Amino acid sequence: MFTSNPFATVTDFLSPLAMQVYIVLMILAVVIGTLLDVSHKGSAKFFAQRREKSMASAKIRLSGSQTLTLAVITIAEAAVSGEFCKWPRRASHLLMMYGFVLHVITTVVMVFVYPAAASTPVILPTLWTVGALMVLVGGLWFFFVLRVNVAYDGASPLHLGRADLFVASLLSSVAFALVWHFVQSASANSTAARILFGLYMFFTTLLFVSVPWSKFAHMFFKPAVAFQRRIEEANGSTDLPSPVADNYIGRS
Amino acid sequence: MARRTRFVDSDILIVGGGFGGCGAAYESRYWGRDLKIVLVEKANIERSGAVAQGLSAINCYMGMQWGENQPEDFVRYARGDLMGLVREDLVYDIARHVDSTVHMFEEWGLPIIKDPRTGRYLREGKWQIMIHGESYKPIVAEAARKSATEVYNRIMVTHLLMDKARPNRIAGAVGFNVRNGEFYVFRAKAVIVGAGGGSHIYRPRSVGEGMGRTWYAPWSTASAYGLLIPTGATMTQMENKIVLTRFKDGYGPVGAWFLLLKAHVTNAAGEMYEAARFDEIKARVGKYAEIHPMPTCLRNHSLLEEVKAGKGPIYMHTQQVLDTKEKEEIGWEDFLDMTIGQAVVWASQNVDPKERPSELITSEPYIMGSHATCSGAWASGPEDCAPQDYQWGYNRMTTVQGLFGAGDTIGGSAHKFSAGSFTEGRLAGKAAVGYVIDMKADAPQVDEAQIKKLEQTVFKPLENYRIGRNEIVAGTVAPSYISPLQGLQRLEKLMDEYVGGYSMFYVTSEPLLNRSLELLSMLKEDFEHIGAEDLHQLQRAWELQHRILTGESVARHTLFRQETRWPGYYYRADYPKLDDAEWHVFTASQYDANTAEWHMSKLPVHHIV
Amino acid sequence: MPTYTDMTKCDGCGECVDICPSDIMHIDPVYRRSYNIEPNFCWECYSCVKACPQHAIDVRGYADFAPLGHKVRVRREPEKGAVSWKIKYRDGRVKEFTFPIRTTPFGSIKAPSDYEAPDLSALTSPMLSHEPTALHIEALPILNKAKA
Repeated sequence: MFTSNPFATVTDFLSPLAMQVYIVLMILAVVIGTLLDVSHKGSAKFFAQRREKSMASAKIRLSGSQTLTLAVITIAEAAVSGEFCKWPRRASHLLMMYGFVLHVITTVVMVFVYPAAASTPVILPTLWTVGALMVLVGGLWFFFVLRVNVAYDGASPLHLGRADLFVASLLSSVAFALVWHFVQSASANSTAARILFGLYMFFTTLLFVSVPWSKFAHMFFKPAVAFQRRIEEANGSTDLPSPVADNYIGRS
Repeated sequence: MARRTRFVDSDILIVGGGFGGCGAAYESRYWGRDLKIVLVEKANIERSGAVAQGLSAINCYMGMQWGENQPEDFVRYARGDLMGLVREDLVYDIARHVDSTVHMFEEWGLPIIKDPRTGRYLREGKWQIMIHGESYKPIVAEAARKSATEVYNRIMVTHLLMDKARPNRIAGAVGFNVRNGEFYVFRAKAVIVGAGGGSHIYRPRSVGEGMGRTWYAPWSTASAYGLLIPTGATMTQMENKIVLTRFKDGYGPVGAWFLLLKAHVTNAAGEMYEAARFDEIKARVGKYAEIHPMPTCLRNHSLLEEVKAGKGPIYMHTQQVLDTKEKEEIGWEDFLDMTIGQAVVWASQNVDPKERPSELITSEPYIMGSHATCSGAWASGPEDCAPQDYQWGYNRMTTVQGLFGAGDTIGGSAHKFSAGSFTEGRLAGKAAVGYVIDMKADAPQVDEAQIKKLEQTVFKPLENYRIGRNEIVAGTVAPSYISPLQGLQRLEKLMDEYVGGYSMFYVTSEPLLNRSLELLSMLKEDFEHIGAEDLHQLQRAWELQHRILTGESVARHTLFRQETRWPGYYYRADYPKLDDAEWHVFTASQYDANTAEWHMSKLPVHHIV
Repeated sequence: MPTYTDMTKCDGCGECVDICPSDIMHIDPVYRRSYNIEPNFCWECYSCVKACPQHAIDVRGYADFAPLGHKVRVRREPEKGAVSWKIKYRDGRVKEFTFPIRTTPFGSIKAPSDYEAPDLSALTSPMLSHEPTALHIEALPILNKAKA
């Protein structure tokens, strides 16, 4: 299971071109969904206005290289999920984030480059499976234990709401991907395998098509806002007081 | 209802994790090393209670180490401010101990401002010292966490439990987890109630979002009284409502401005009006007009008369006293350490205190025992100095065996404020340890049947909503239930209009008070039909119940005292003068939960200083 | 002046829900971020504002009496024992202040049980813990009962 290309078996009933078109459509769904989200709600306009106001109250002008440095720092922090102040949330987010990245990249590579099973380098399906498992571990931990409405607001761990659309469809997608791949490897193209493939496709499509209504697009918004905050702190337009230089502990 | 019930057993149960409760936790642990001490709080003790934002001054500190004041002086001061009527034993007891509390606070890390010339604590006034108090509550909560065996946050205690076997003895409390709805039964040998006094008993001046900006915390929901009244504990001075003169809308503090910065207050024409009103005040209250410093209520009275005469707004001339950067910082820190909302008002209205004066106004009335008034439970006093009829065994024990109180809970001990409430908690904590040890094997028993019944009662508002909601399409109007907010606004309106709220310039009379009791009676019946949509609303529902009980107590005590003892806090239009011959007494009430009857009486005022 | 949570800065950590003395900071069902469910029970105590690690919560003065355009922002730094405020007026003026909040490290209070246990015979005396030493005077004042 770890070593065989799951998509090679799909070519029995779906052409590689169909799979590739599907992937392109899903990418488009994310892009269009995000753009629709920000334009329909007016959030693009809101953030543009906010940025303008903050630029106007900037005390100093940042140079190109200063700005670039801040961008790099922002990306670096996002890469280690450093914006999370509590380690369990940070750990689960790292698992989900890198698991998702691994899983998606290996999916794309296998579908576009290695549609036939025989020539697929073993590393690809292995990482595809590992990525899915990472998402499951991080995601299930997050869903049942760490979700703030469960951990702090008294909601049942089984509670499902609109805010869970992204994480629930992501978990369902990778879960069915793994189960389908396992069943497919054991009994190729059986009814069970076909049904599971259908479910895998359903939840994967849901994940990418529900972008206008889910928290998916926050993976783009959050780093953008983090970058903007760094800019504001650097150019003096932040409305927060600066950290103090002195330490008052120890004085009487 | 398939709901999980959790039983928590302890030697001492402390209800309320504010300054009174935290003091009780610390002291009971000091004396009871092996006791199980449980503290239960409806919010999170880190910031719960009236000191959530912090404080900029400690208003009860003798400074005995520097010979600044003696406890007897403090008793005279409190007695004067309350027009003669305080429990002098309780006040003395707090005054003689409060210095050690304050020194402990300093050791724990509370920054107390020093006078650079003398090295002593910087005095704001005769009894007050200045602190950098933004973290006052977190510091005190830390001490409490290190003292209690267990701290239960987010559990609202709704009812106290009485002993099944012995009459008039406490056995514990019940409540529910605000997060997950579990029912909690606390079984304890002694219970110390350090719950909150009463905001939102009377209609506040601001009724939109601004109703959140009451002077006293909106989460001080009169549970100190609402929990005790049904046990039959004798309550005292519930008519002694407090009205505060503060900065308008934001209700920012005025103490530092008056005492430390020495700002003046005038009417709109710039006239200092208090002196001109002296004769009128003397006609009302006789010799009490000559008390120095002028009692708080009489200062209110002068301001109210001025406003009624059309000479308002009344202004505090902040612009005359902020001539240095240091003074400007003091003025702002005064707000930012304890009433940030006032800073927000200034910023929003472009008011710079350096440039222009700010309006003062009298607030809506509050019911409390820890500030300049002393509503609360009638409690046993310190064994070494309380008169005979003020003590029946354990210090700060109410008339219910094993039920102790501290802070807003205890009546008659005025002017304790934060440090005094913590001190009173210490006194109750130590006494409760003694009580528990003396009890030995004679532990109280809870009544299983009563607990089952209470469980139904506690969660009934959820059921009312769930069932009644089926009648309507949507929205807040349903014929079979009202929301906790709707009930609260009815209470606030009736108290305001009939029991001397701000819209009546604090005036009431017998016909008005009788009408209030009729309306309260219907409101109490309607409480059976409170509909709570979720656990948060369920908390609001029980907060309302505690407020309703308190409101009725206030109305009955106000009816009972046939004089105007504290003009400026409230007026009996039918008895406009102070009447020492008949009313130099404490009012007392006892509620019988079985018959739903109130028994009113007078208790003597002994002057021991 | 009730609180509000900035959509883009809140990451749903729950600190504000945990600390709010009024039980009004809760999690929104659409974004799983915090919001103030009952501004009319908000005291503007700033507990949530100070507790938020992302500085995502701010206060907009009560609409019934506070005109728009102001900001009162805070940065509490317990490890340095300090709190800083930046106040922006509606007309643009800015005032900044910093005050101490603690002279000892958070967590450093000595538990009462770490002191030597008192003699329980002292339960009947009027003295409280650490007295008379903590009073900084020789002895606890006792009232002369003859005056009663």
